[in-house]
Amino acid sequence: MGIYESLNERLYLDKIVEFSKKKKVPVFYGTIWYYLGGVSLFLFITQVVSGILLLLYYQPGVATAFESVRFIVSKVEFGWLIREIHSWSANLFIFFVFIHMFTVFFAKAYRKPRELTWFSGMLLLFLAMGFGFSGYLLPWNELAFFATKVGSDIAGSIPGIGDFLLRLLRGGDEVSGATLSRFFGIHVAIIPAVFTVLLGIHLVLVQVQGMSIPPELEKVPEKDRRYMPFFPNFALRDVLTWLIILNVVALLAVFFPWELGVKADFLAPAPPGVKPEWYFMFMYQTLRLLPAHVWFIEGELLGILTFMVGGLIWFFVPLLDKKAKVGERSKFWNWFGIILIIYMIAMTIWGYLV
Amino acid sequence: MNSDYSDIVNTSKKQTRRKFLDVILGAGFFAWIGAVLYPIGKYLVPPKVADISVDSVEAGVIGEFPPNSSKIIRFGRRPVIVFRQHNGDFHALSATCTHLDCTVQYKSETEQIWCACHNGLYDIEGRNISGPPPKPLAQYQVVLQNDKVIVTRGEMT
Amino acid sequence: MKSLQLLGAILIFMGFLVAEQSNPKEDACIRCHKEMDEEQEEGQKLFPDILNDVHLKRGLSCADCHGGNPEAFDDEDEAMWENDTFGGEVSRTDEIVMCGSCHSDPRFMRQYSTAIRTDQVKQYWTSKHGMELKRGNEKVAICTDCHGVHGILPVDDPRSPVYDMNVPSTCSNCHSDSEYMAEFGIPTDQYYKYRKSVHGEALLDNSDTGAPACNDCHGNHGAIPPDVSHISDICGTCHVNNDKLFQESHLKPIFVKRGFGQCEACHGNHGILKPTDEFLNWDHGSVCVQCHRDKGGEAKIMADQFYTLLDSLKGQIAIANTFVEKADQKGMEVSDLLFPLEEAHKVLIQTRTSIHSFNKDYVEEIAKPGFEATQAAITGGKKALEEFDFRRKGLFISSLIITFLALALYLKIKDIEKKQSKDKS
Repeated sequence: MGIYESLNERLYLDKIVEFSKKKKVPVFYGTIWYYLGGVSLFLFITQVVSGILLLLYYQPGVATAFESVRFIVSKVEFGWLIREIHSWSANLFIFFVFIHMFTVFFAKAYRKPRELTWFSGMLLLFLAMGFGFSGYLLPWNELAFFATKVGSDIAGSIPGIGDFLLRLLRGGDEVSGATLSRFFGIHVAIIPAVFTVLLGIHLVLVQVQGMSIPPELEKVPEKDRRYMPFFPNFALRDVLTWLIILNVVALLAVFFPWELGVKADFLAPAPPGVKPEWYFMFMYQTLRLLPAHVWFIEGELLGILTFMVGGLIWFFVPLLDKKAKVGERSKFWNWFGIILIIYMIAMTIWGYLV
Repeated sequence: MNSDYSDIVNTSKKQTRRKFLDVILGAGFFAWIGAVLYPIGKYLVPPKVADISVDSVEAGVIGEFPPNSSKIIRFGRRPVIVFRQHNGDFHALSATCTHLDCTVQYKSETEQIWCACHNGLYDIEGRNISGPPPKPLAQYQVVLQNDKVIVTRGEMT
Repeated sequence: MKSLQLLGAILIFMGFLVAEQSNPKEDACIRCHKEMDEEQEEGQKLFPDILNDVHLKRGLSCADCHGGNPEAFDDEDEAMWENDTFGGEVSRTDEIVMCGSCHSDPRFMRQYSTAIRTDQVKQYWTSKHGMELKRGNEKVAICTDCHGVHGILPVDDPRSPVYDMNVPSTCSNCHSDSEYMAEFGIPTDQYYKYRKSVHGEALLDNSDTGAPACNDCHGNHGAIPPDVSHISDICGTCHVNNDKLFQESHLKPIFVKRGFGQCEACHGNHGILKPTDEFLNWDHGSVCVQCHRDKGGEAKIMADQFYTLLDSLKGQIAIANTFVEKADQKGMEVSDLLFPLEEAHKVLIQTRTSIHSFNKDYVEEIAKPGFEATQAAITGGKKALEEFDFRRKGLFISSLIITFLALALYLKIKDIEKKQSKDKS
């Protein structure tokens, strides 16, 4: 009896093999969008590996955080590479997750029975942004220090729970060593744990429910639809995209290194050009543009409330979009998505211009 | 006949090409694994931190050493045990047991150096006299300057 | 609520107290002269400067210097002309005595400050100004010429004419006036020279009050030109190391014997400039040739050695800088290399100081760590640049591998699919 046989008796490998043999991917003009989830997954794995490697040398704490990162990039062999890959792949991760979300949105892939996949995906996106926000502070440099100050300040202006949230985020009233410890814990333990569980659910759901196709394609009779087998055709293509992405990450890491900057100092005045990470820019810019008061409400508060309500609406889109449920495209939601994208891009560009 | 033959040739040609592709793919895969694992392997090796070279260390003032007492001091990165016998003589030995790197202590009752981990014993000269230690402890020199106790590297002469 | 009212009452009361202190008592002199003052020309006016006068603020009034009765509000005669104590304008010689009547009394002055000095008058009589005054020459500076007359401010007030940064221009009021100074037969270009000197620049342009004004070398109340043989003691109060090294050097006794002004001999006095390494450049601008003109010999050899040493250290620092900068521009982490660079720079300054020993071995010993530090920085910079190349090459190779693998994979996929479609048909 071979190894496979003996494992099969215990792990039901046959069933998995059979399942994967049957697994197929629809071929049409939108097939390319199916790679985005895989690319995001690959970047996440890259993050885990490079993150664990960084963890071997990183020492949280006001006196050591910056120094240990500097040690990694200057003293440890290939330390610079690991850090650059971690930074670049983090940014690409968020980028691809966003695109992934929008393609899913426009393909109406969130409609029944895939609401749960959408919900878990949205939660993953929020967590990814949390990853970014908490990880940004860890090198303890000036820009990150002030960006965290501003970021947690914004969280602090949420009515009711703002003060509590601010203290919870900062681990005190000010951004300090306590904040650093907290962000470290959040970044390497809390979010990864929750993220892994959600990612598991997300992936299982995708496997169980198979690939979604846009509503129009559903009207095409089954015999006229084209498919390719997942194994090996699509899987190999996945690997191909991963290789290309890896190459891009390596190029970016070498040619566009992220600077370490200056160590954060509680007493130093804020340097010019304190900006949040680019994926928070559209929100940051919006808050910056709002006047101090709109009608009777504080501008910033209005902005935050709008984003919260907007986020909730976006999150619950599978329940709100009645037309998608019956397999039709809703013009309203299409325009909603398009305007949102235009808004985000415009605000992000504007944010970087001023 | 003719077409059969060319078919066979074609298939074998294709087969060769396929095999070649597989070899390339395999080689490329292993090269890639190497390209990923090499930096990671290098990264895992801790970089050498410039050694703090120390030639002498001040262990304290004589008053801190009543007869038959000891103190463990840092000599560069390693611990050194400085002790004073009943008769007032100063000695300094490496405090790292030669058996399994535990830190040794001075036994005032017997005027011996004792390692608590596995009951190793050394005499005041650092010679291993009982228990598992395989080698004697390295000796350091103690110099008294005014009221200062200074430990220096180097053999006792 | 009650406690708040009480607090308010206390605050108001305290306000009165403060107001009481800062407002001088009603005084007949001030009342009349203020009215007269309005008709005075600009520059002749007493008010409002006099209200800032440190003496007036501490309770001294006009009558305390000029005599008269400050309580005779209605009668000018009673206030001044018919009052025996009234002296009008104080004469220049009397003034010294008058100021001294308080300022030389330690017991009296102590009530204002325990740190205040009381030797000004005593010192004054030893100064050139004081000696001339004693001889009857009233053209020399007296207390009020420097400190102001009415409206005297404490010396640490930046508006005071004797505040550190104002001293040079205050002295120059007389000392730069060639007509006024003619009878004394001394030069009048000191201010002009000082203004352009390294000290003048530091004090007046960079507001560095640690830099010496006239009085820091000449003394203030005991103002006198420093004795040639003691110049180095004066310079040495700030330039400690340079002075110490020179005192111990073999040149010191020779300078003394020949009556050279030690520091001054090479560096000059009022027009003292920031010394450059060219001081040692024998053929171009060396100060050594002022005495060593005819002989080359040992002096030339030593100057050349020092000059070359400084030059090569500077050169090494420049090279190290270039390497580190280059590595930095390429995005390499070079913060570690900045320490040896700083160290080298520090050593360069120390080496320049060590020249004052005129001892080759000593100077070379001081300079040695500088060369070591620059060497470390250069090695580090080179290593960083090599590392940069290594990264590019490594990227190139791994990128090549990945591209290659991707290409092979692509062909493999095509191959598989071709086979699949063939199998189907």
